[in-house]
Amino acid sequence: MENNIRTLRAERGWSQQHLADLLDVSRQSVNAIETGKYDPSLPLAFAIARLFERHIEEIFDDGRGVAKAAE
Amino acid sequence: MTQPKGFRTANKRYLMIFVPMMAFYCVAIAVAFTFIDIDTASTGVRMGAAIAIALPLIAILMAILRLVRETDEYTRMRQLQALSEGGVMLTGAIFILGFLERFNVIPDIPLFLFGPGFFFFYGLAHLRQSLGKIV
Repeated sequence: MENNIRTLRAERGWSQQHLADLLDVSRQSVNAIETGKYDPSLPLAFAIARLFERHIEEIFDDGRGVAKAAE
Repeated sequence: MTQPKGFRTANKRYLMIFVPMMAFYCVAIAVAFTFIDIDTASTGVRMGAAIAIALPLIAILMAILRLVRETDEYTRMRQLQALSEGGVMLTGAIFILGFLERFNVIPDIPLFLFGPGFFFFYGLAHLRQSLGKIV
């Protein structure tokens, strides 16, 4: 699943460690989510969305929304 | 059942067990091997020494399990993968060495060595993770 967490984080000037501290997860977790190696659970995805004051679908994209819109 | 507490709290709670138990283990093993003569000490003394050395290690294993329950979801997944991969590698080693021993190819292996063996394979699994071999 793709996401734009790296962009949102950069806009705020936050490091991966700072974001990890805010979410109370490891820095490796943030890195794994940013690089698409790991898809977060719904509670963590909601926590990320709340932190960036966005809707979940504005941050995460499973690729199906675009495909559905194209149909 | 223990609920997830977040990465920092879980790590702190793990270290609060790990550090004193590892110190206790080091002291126990130093005292036991320095002051206890295995050939002449009573069964009670030898049993007490063996249990005193093993108990802190069991406490550390329990702390690892608690860390797995309490830490963040990604770290939990990595820990569980390392634990399961370490366990599988250790079981494989036990089968191979056990049968080699059974057929008198190699001499008897002290059973307690499989404890450090587990931590070795557990560490090896973590190393494989950091090299990107598993998530």
